[in-house]
Amino acid sequence: MSILEGLRFYAGDTVIHRLDPRVKFLISMLMLIIVVMYVEVWMLTILIALQAIMAYAAKVVRRWLKTIRGSLPLAVLVFGLNAIFFISSGTYATLQEALYQSTALAYRLVLFLSSFSIFFLTTTPEEIGLTLTSWRVPYPYTFAFISAIRFTPIIAQELRDIMDAQRARGVELDKGGPLQRAKKLVPILVPLLANALRRAYELAEAMEVKCFGATKKRTSLRELKMRYKDYVVLSVSLALFSLAAYYRLFPF
Amino acid sequence: MIRFDNVTYVYPTGVKALNGVSVEIGRGELVALMGENGAGKTTFIKHLNGLLKPTNGKVYVDGKDTRTLSVAQLSRVVGIVFQNADDMFFLPTIEEEVAFSLRNLGFSEEVVQKRVDWALKFMELEEYRKRSPFLLSGGEKKRLALAIILAWNPQVIAMDEPTVGQDSAQKEKLKEMIKQLNLQGRTVIISTHDVEFVAELRSRVILMSKGRIVADGRAETILTDGELLSSCSILMPQVAATMSRLADLGFNAKVISVDEAVRNIVEVLRRFEHTRGA
Amino acid sequence: MEIVKIEGLTFTYSGSDTPAISDINLSIEEGEFVLLLGPSGCGKSTLCRCLNGLIPHFYAGKMEGRVIVAGMDVSKTPTYVLSQHVGMVFQNPENQLFSLTVENDVAFALENLGIPRDEIRRRVDFALKAVGIEDLRKRSPFELSGGQQQKVAIASVLALMPKLMVLDEPTSSLDPASAKSIIETILKIRKELGTSIIVAEHRVELLADKVDRVIVMQKGRIIKDGRPREIFVSEEMVPYGIPVPKVVSMAKGVNKYFQVFNEIPLSSEEFEQDIRRFVHDKVR
Repeated sequence: MSILEGLRFYAGDTVIHRLDPRVKFLISMLMLIIVVMYVEVWMLTILIALQAIMAYAAKVVRRWLKTIRGSLPLAVLVFGLNAIFFISSGTYATLQEALYQSTALAYRLVLFLSSFSIFFLTTTPEEIGLTLTSWRVPYPYTFAFISAIRFTPIIAQELRDIMDAQRARGVELDKGGPLQRAKKLVPILVPLLANALRRAYELAEAMEVKCFGATKKRTSLRELKMRYKDYVVLSVSLALFSLAAYYRLFPF
Repeated sequence: MIRFDNVTYVYPTGVKALNGVSVEIGRGELVALMGENGAGKTTFIKHLNGLLKPTNGKVYVDGKDTRTLSVAQLSRVVGIVFQNADDMFFLPTIEEEVAFSLRNLGFSEEVVQKRVDWALKFMELEEYRKRSPFLLSGGEKKRLALAIILAWNPQVIAMDEPTVGQDSAQKEKLKEMIKQLNLQGRTVIISTHDVEFVAELRSRVILMSKGRIVADGRAETILTDGELLSSCSILMPQVAATMSRLADLGFNAKVISVDEAVRNIVEVLRRFEHTRGA
Repeated sequence: MEIVKIEGLTFTYSGSDTPAISDINLSIEEGEFVLLLGPSGCGKSTLCRCLNGLIPHFYAGKMEGRVIVAGMDVSKTPTYVLSQHVGMVFQNPENQLFSLTVENDVAFALENLGIPRDEIRRRVDFALKAVGIEDLRKRSPFELSGGQQQKVAIASVLALMPKLMVLDEPTSSLDPASAKSIIETILKIRKELGTSIIVAEHRVELLADKVDRVIVMQKGRIIKDGRPREIFVSEEMVPYGIPVPKVVSMAKGVNKYFQVFNEIPLSSEEFEQDIRRFVHDKVR
């Protein structure tokens, strides 16, 4: 699942890492909007280049590329389907035009994914949580989000442990056709679920003991503060975006 | 029965959990595998039934290279009871849980019935036959996990941290059970950091640290070696720890049972009396 | 001043027909260090949960009798108020930590109470220092060992500055070295902050000589309540199968031949001291 590699936080102390997460999120959104506005390959290429520069600055080039590589199969599929459709229905006058448009669509798909890759690679889950809070998302939702991230590696380990325990009872997980393998999921999923429920109960108890829900006016240890460089990057991004948007509407 | 031949194992994450481990465990032995967290105990255990195969080196179970056999095949000979017994229940009744493993391993229905009866009786779970495994208490769940493994009568039984979370009465029962299984001729390997438990078992001790075996000998020798234990972040059992404080007065620091300690203390004190008398 | 006063407490979990605890009468003074002993299923955990309101607010069931903690009636006070006077630490450290950094976990309860940021910072610093884990501040709980995680759990409860801390088998899932470390942490907190402590434990070796009082439970009832020596040394407790520190058995054995110990020692240190004194007197 190499796509996932490009969407998980990778520690570093670069300029990009230190940017306010809200600014990074906004940049990703702005890029996404441009991808929607433009089908032209040249604009998409500019975006990719910008992302490449940011990835380089954040020292996450290899992982960012993994997202792109991971999305290629899907992109090829999109290209193929659209090419077939365009050619057979004669939407475009020439073959070249049809192929160009199909490529552009596939390209856009890749960009959808890669736009957010930099955000996730350089933002800690904690910062994502703080971002949600600063946008007044009700705390229980933010908490659910953070808990999901916090417990995913633990559940993953539990899954491995259960698989080991069942294998040691003679369950051969790697053998058999699709139907047999599906049946073999039962001894894995039932304990996993049972343990998850038990864990949830223990967690709820601990949350109760730590006054969860005591007041709606929750405070926080850390808060996000926009600094000078955040405003600079924000302004530059908005300016570039406006330029691109303007050009789309009023091409010169 | 079990032989590790210069085994090295590296996890996909790059962690080298076993680094050149060579050891032989004979049929019918009782062995305690000890070491701090991360020493490689669990990795070692997982090599016994082929869940993990060595990156380098070979593991032999009953003369056969584990790489040539599947986990299911090896499990017939080596039964492993993992630490979290609750990890594997999913059937409506206890007797079905025990039968499940037997059926997987290819026993005929007749044999399955007999083995289920035997295992439940041996682990004193007969009365809970039709009960759901989810309704059992913690101690009962551990007994069920053991019953499941014993049902197919593996020659080797390995237990990963069997004493965690158990009260003293439960530990006492567990100790008796282990001794009995061993007396019946089974090879029993327990991985644990409970020094008091091992001291009472007086078994062979294999001490691991950072993926290597650093000591292999009797409990009396290893659990009284202060330097060795502290280099592996293990606490000495209380009897030995107390006696070692008095070593300078001539008391024997190499004892691990209360009776031995008392006898030695009395002996030394008598000597003091005689010297004074003289 | 009494920190815990329980009168005629009986509690039956809903869905069960037998009470988990029956007829509990207990009074604990501020500053006491109490060890709660008993086999699995004896009601220790249930009793612990009655002390901070989890029973009856979180666990449904029938409760009879009164539980007054820090002057408040548990059944009439919400848990978030009680938690500021009685902190609770559970057995499994993993399921008590929610955040992505230690610092955030210690601040969690304070954030939930809406305490102002400066006060949160101050208390987080205080709790980390009291437990001795300042160096773990920015780490993620997932990377920590069981013992370290449990220390974070203790710190996160200490941040509420409770007068009483209740620990339900805190070292059960830890290896002996980590267990020792946790008990040392508890002792440190007791010494430096004077917090009252109630701990349910099986590992008596490390606690026998440190606690003021031992309460033994069985089948939901308190069967003995007294000073450590009364519990661990007296013969009458033998049939109840409570864990006894090995030095006690050793001392009793020696005393049959030589009257070395006037008072049976509860720890290796006491044992050593008594033997040395005896030998010294003998040799003179």
